Amino acid sequence: MSETQLRALVVDDERAIRRFLRTSLTANGYVVFEATNGGEALEAVVRDRPDVMILDLGLPDMDGTQVTARLREWSHIPIIVLSVRDQEGDKIAALDAGADDYLTKPFGVGELMARMRVVLRRVAHPEPEPVFATRDLVVDLARRLVRVRGHEVQLTPTEYDLLRVLVTHAGKVLTHQQLLRQVWGLGYEGESHLLRVNISNLRQKIERNSARPEYIITEPGVGYRLRLEI
Amino acid sequence: MMYNSAMANFDDRTLHGQREPRDTGLLTRARRYLSYLYGVGLVALTTLVGLPLRSFVDPTNLVMLYLLAVVLAALRLGRNPAVLVSLLGVLAFDLVFVPPYNTFAVADAQFVLTFIALLGVGLLTSTLTAQAREQTRAAQDRATHTRTLYELSRDLAIVLDPVEVAQTVMNHINWVFQGRAAVLLADGQSLEPVLDSPDFELDEEERDAAAWAHRHGQPAGHGTEVLNGVKGTYLPLRSTQGVMGALGFQAAGQPDHLTPEQWRLLEAFASLTAQALTRIDLTREARQAQLLRESEKLQAALLNSISHDLRTPLASITGALSSLRDDAAFLDEAARALLVNTAWEQADRLDDLVGNLLDITRLEAGVRKVQPELCDVQDLVGVALERLGERLEAREIVLDLPEALPPVPMDLPLMAQALVNLVDNALKYSPADEPITVQAEATASELHLTVRDRGPGIPDGDLVRIFDKFYRVQRSSEVTGTGLGLPISKGIVEAHGGRIWADNQAGGGAALTIVLPTEMPSNQPAVEGLA
Repeated sequence: MSETQLRALVVDDERAIRRFLRTSLTANGYVVFEATNGGEALEAVVRDRPDVMILDLGLPDMDGTQVTARLREWSHIPIIVLSVRDQEGDKIAALDAGADDYLTKPFGVGELMARMRVVLRRVAHPEPEPVFATRDLVVDLARRLVRVRGHEVQLTPTEYDLLRVLVTHAGKVLTHQQLLRQVWGLGYEGESHLLRVNISNLRQKIERNSARPEYIITEPGVGYRLRLEI
Repeated sequence: MMYNSAMANFDDRTLHGQREPRDTGLLTRARRYLSYLYGVGLVALTTLVGLPLRSFVDPTNLVMLYLLAVVLAALRLGRNPAVLVSLLGVLAFDLVFVPPYNTFAVADAQFVLTFIALLGVGLLTSTLTAQAREQTRAAQDRATHTRTLYELSRDLAIVLDPVEVAQTVMNHINWVFQGRAAVLLADGQSLEPVLDSPDFELDEEERDAAAWAHRHGQPAGHGTEVLNGVKGTYLPLRSTQGVMGALGFQAAGQPDHLTPEQWRLLEAFASLTAQALTRIDLTREARQAQLLRESEKLQAALLNSISHDLRTPLASITGALSSLRDDAAFLDEAARALLVNTAWEQADRLDDLVGNLLDITRLEAGVRKVQPELCDVQDLVGVALERLGERLEAREIVLDLPEALPPVPMDLPLMAQALVNLVDNALKYSPADEPITVQAEATASELHLTVRDRGPGIPDGDLVRIFDKFYRVQRSSEVTGTGLGLPISKGIVEAHGGRIWADNQAGGGAALTIVLPTEMPSNQPAVEGLA
């Protein structure tokens, strides 16, 4: 076992899913550990010291949100949640409890690897770079400057704060609640119209086509994500 | 009075009814005495009329006057007063018209025969006439009774629910008895009024009487032997399945005794009411059975279609995988890639089908509730196109979305699926090199969202049916699909209080339009934050 190899913990009660993930993750250079329920998962985090955790929401002993909440009491391990369609409520609960991202089953390995790279990069660089750049979008966090396709864009303070939060969590989905709390502060969690209007304005200014956004992606029913190049 | 059988179930609570004196027969009794008085008067009158004729008419002929009086009395006053008139007539005749006058002594023995004949004829006539009178009255009563019942049953025949039944019975009881009524039906353990006249008194004791009638299937309350201290009379509503409730009756003003005739009528009312209620029950059951049969038929069709649609992609996947597993040595790189792609595409299709099936099931079962939140139309379109992802391939999508569209209340994940299905439909049914247009337009209170393609359009006969589950326009056998997409869109749109329809454009191609109200639905409070 090489020191440079990343360690992944797969938590799912389905053997087929665990086997598929083990194969794919091993092929991608990860050392893989497995757990079949929430209790085992918590033990495995202590024992195996994984770098990242892939967590199914529907576990036999406790649900994924509980596992996330228990882990977050003492661990910052990146968690990617696996859910099935129409579990928006559960996904939001898990994200609000501290999960880093989610994937809806069925998913492709490519997508999983991309999400894992994103969460691992954030752990590797906890302080955001002063200048963020992806494709044609450049955000200079130190100087509060935003450039799209080479042109500087004028944003209102709220729009800039919103973009800053998205950029500093680039690639990660942020729930409506998380965005409202981080941009407007506590007490604004119910004011989703503020978020909608500002996202709409921000898109007008930085996207080529608001109806087919490249950067600010809506995760329907959950929140928004700043998409990185994959 | 009637219903001695109720005595068997007599309980101590009924005794308090005894403290009320039964004064209700008073009027009838007074009327009876009055008719005897009339009889006496009639005899006196006859005697007065006959008196001037005494000197020149033979007494045996004057007897005829008394016979006339007897017949009159029998006709107008009834049997017993007529008998009294006969007796008094004989005495008066003897006293006034048979010499020697003013004494009951009889000079000529032949008059004894006259007395006997007068008495005999008088008694006979009075009996016969009174009988005839009774019969006429009974016939009239029967006619009234029959007509009343006929009218009630006619009116009950057309009503469709228990409340209407109660209303009809109440109206009829009001016409016939000038009283108030209530229909009480068993609802689990308790007996609840379906409807009662506005001034029907229904306190605890009245309810007890009604409940007793319901429980024992016997009349209770006023005028019966049971719980008769209350104001109302309660008759059981009996059907073939048992007693379903009670019909309550309260006289307007002071409660009067019901005549046997009225009792019979009230009982007939109760019976007709029970019949009408039974009929409504049975009709409802029959309708439910019919619905069940139809839904079973639909489910059978669904199963057939689903099993086909599930098996086809599974067969392709299994086939491709078995080939990769068993024949790996004989496959070149290109063949392997083709097999893998086939399996991937079919798995995608399978996922789509299962997702759609789950969506429609959740919507229909009411598990997934619409949770509207104000959303931008651009965002809706963006999410839908994002979700279509690879399926769009290189297809040109023309977006015609005005800048100033109002936000629309919607459940974004659901509505995005509705739009995905519309665009997916356009992708499947139009040539790959023709563009698809998504156009939005706002009116004062609605948003119109239209997806247009440049395909062959939809046959006129199918414009409505394409929204039926598992319906597919037959001619394009190349197109793979589940026939579930558009029905799901319809279900989602209608759950939002919107409409959806298909038509053909003048220049060719189909146009599918979703219309959503732009006002937040008042009955569904917006769920902010969560979806």
